[in-house]
Amino acid sequence: MSLARFLIKRLLQGVFVVWGVITIVFGLRVIAPGDPANVLLPPDVNPEVRQQVVADLGLNEPLYVQYWDFVTGIAAGVPEGLYNIVMGQPVGGLGLGTSLTTGTSVASRVGRSLPATLELAIMATVVAIIIAIPLGVVSATNRHSGPDYGATLFSLAGISTPNFWLGVMLIIVLSVQFNLFPTSQRAIGVPGIFDLLLAGQLEAAGDGFLTWLWYITLPAITLGTYFTALITRLTRSGMLDELGKTYVRASRAKGLPESLVRYKHVLRNTLIPIITVVGLQLGTLVGGAVITEFVFDWPGLGQVLINSINSRDWPMVQGSLIVISVGFVVVNIVVDTLYTLVNPRVGFD
Amino acid sequence: MSHTGHRDDLLRVEDLTTRFYTEEGQVNAVESVSFDVRDNEILGIVGESGSGKSVTALSAIDLVDSPGEVTGGEVWLRDAELAEEFRGESPDAVDGDFVDLRQLPKGVRRSLRGPKFSMIFQDPMSSFNPSLTVGEQIAEAVEVQRRASANPRSTRSRTQGYGLGKLLFDSVVPGREYTSDESRERAVELLDQVGIPDPVERAEEYPHQFSGGMLQRAMVAQALAGEPDVLFADEPTTALDVTIQAQILDLLRDIQQDRGMSVVLITHDLGVIARMCDRVGVMYAGEIVERGSLEAVFDEPTHPYTQGLLGSIPDVDDPAPRLEPIEGNVPNLIDSEMPDRCYFADRCPKAMESCLEHPEERAVEGEQGHTARCVLADGEYDPERALDESHFEGGDGE
Repeated sequence: MSLARFLIKRLLQGVFVVWGVITIVFGLRVIAPGDPANVLLPPDVNPEVRQQVVADLGLNEPLYVQYWDFVTGIAAGVPEGLYNIVMGQPVGGLGLGTSLTTGTSVASRVGRSLPATLELAIMATVVAIIIAIPLGVVSATNRHSGPDYGATLFSLAGISTPNFWLGVMLIIVLSVQFNLFPTSQRAIGVPGIFDLLLAGQLEAAGDGFLTWLWYITLPAITLGTYFTALITRLTRSGMLDELGKTYVRASRAKGLPESLVRYKHVLRNTLIPIITVVGLQLGTLVGGAVITEFVFDWPGLGQVLINSINSRDWPMVQGSLIVISVGFVVVNIVVDTLYTLVNPRVGFD
Repeated sequence: MSHTGHRDDLLRVEDLTTRFYTEEGQVNAVESVSFDVRDNEILGIVGESGSGKSVTALSAIDLVDSPGEVTGGEVWLRDAELAEEFRGESPDAVDGDFVDLRQLPKGVRRSLRGPKFSMIFQDPMSSFNPSLTVGEQIAEAVEVQRRASANPRSTRSRTQGYGLGKLLFDSVVPGREYTSDESRERAVELLDQVGIPDPVERAEEYPHQFSGGMLQRAMVAQALAGEPDVLFADEPTTALDVTIQAQILDLLRDIQQDRGMSVVLITHDLGVIARMCDRVGVMYAGEIVERGSLEAVFDEPTHPYTQGLLGSIPDVDDPAPRLEPIEGNVPNLIDSEMPDRCYFADRCPKAMESCLEHPEERAVEGEQGHTARCVLADGEYDPERALDESHFEGGDGE
């Protein structure tokens, strides 16, 4: 199967997955306690006004009508948004509606939070890969030595440390005691840095980048520690597994230097399953940075989600969840494509 | 070093001993094994599973992995250049044109794999890296030697100048792979020489796209890439269909004769030995119990184990009503359980009181180059002195 057909097939599957998510999210709103009208109105409101608000929100319609409106709204809004992007116009609401609390477009609020979450997830992944893979390699190739025991201890600690605790500890020690890093928030984002670059303010962009790095360090470490530990373990055990295979002995028998055997053969084969885990984990990080974002007051999707749940802002909750699920699906398609390119035994089918 | 060797000797292995340190205890996989490989011959090593045949070959070319370790012995290779190079530095490691590989630095030993030794394995499917093309893997073996001859100094370093950084860089930047176009062309030539049709196309395919027989041919091509003097073939046909087995054996012999190289053929199949080999060594419990020319060992077997092995082959012309098995089982080679007596005594129909002492390898009377690790080599069986069951505490054979 060709790459194009593979991608089309996976995208179609992805559409169905997202549809499923939309349905579940709708169902959650239906069964969750708390009437959205109560959020909007003071408790002692006139019942007629209340009736009017419920009717405006469409909440007095039968469920299937509400569901139909919700799904068709998104089904019409997304192509329109894509068209607007191509034409260089503002994206529009994507059928996600408006916030109950602020009255602003859900799509634009989520759109503004998304870069912060992506930055955090990607930085955490990059940190994890940079630390974990060399650590795993050293660990596996020096089995039962000091570095191996150190790496194993580190990964055990990393896997068992809850990240809300780690985040708070990092803040207390590095930010409060030693004043090395800011305690919270995000002073500038990657889109802001790009704006400065496009405006030709190179120096300001450089400063912005350093500031960004300064602010994102602690959240990225907090979010990435578990992931680092996980990949270290996977790399170590995967590499030990590969080193025991006959082809390694055959490569040595034909005279290859140890570096080629280790890196060109063994490490490459070890990375094949790791790509899958990294991809799945990246998807999880996009949705699962909620706690880290909360601890560091990081203005990402997780914050939006928590705040909107607290205020029963259902359109906002639905919008965030749908965007997170789309992110998950996209990441998985990218990973599967990469996996197929790296592993010749798996075809596009 | 003994000076009793044959003048065509290419490799003389003496008292090679390999131990595995496992959780169950020390395993004596190879016990004081001696053999020699001559120019332009096929030497067979035959024995049951677990008798130490493969580990013997791996020990000779320094490929034993942890928890195994070669703990003793000498591996003398005839190489005038190396002998000259090390004569001043380490005189103990040099004897005439021979060098003892066990006394040479590790890097030098590694550099000999490819141009001096190569090895093919039992299961071709697992002996290739599944995620690189067959052509690329053969080209690698060519490339190592190409770079080695271009820069002999770096040949012996552990990385050969290709550290992780360079490898990562090369794998990311297109057109900067490890192998060169010349090596890849040579790989196609090699595939052609081992009888693979459409070698240009097949070189671009992955191992899983090959059949077992074709892949074993490719394995042979890979082993030939460094133009080795000695090819160790470890059960090269065991994983293949019977019809394919014959083809691979023919290929091995043709290549051996065309190139005038030597082959050490390791197998449990006496038929393969009879068909292919000039000389043969029989292994039992980590030892070579008998060795000599094919005729000497097969026609006049001296060691009762060899006699038992040959007696267990069905004969089409003279079908015996029952095959004669060797009673009992192979010992498990764990050091603490190995007896002081001859390892075969428990199962031997001709065990005598003198077998309670572990026998040395001795020349078979009246035969040139035929030795056996058995008192019968230079003595007669005396039923008066036979051992009975009471000498073996709880033997396996009851």
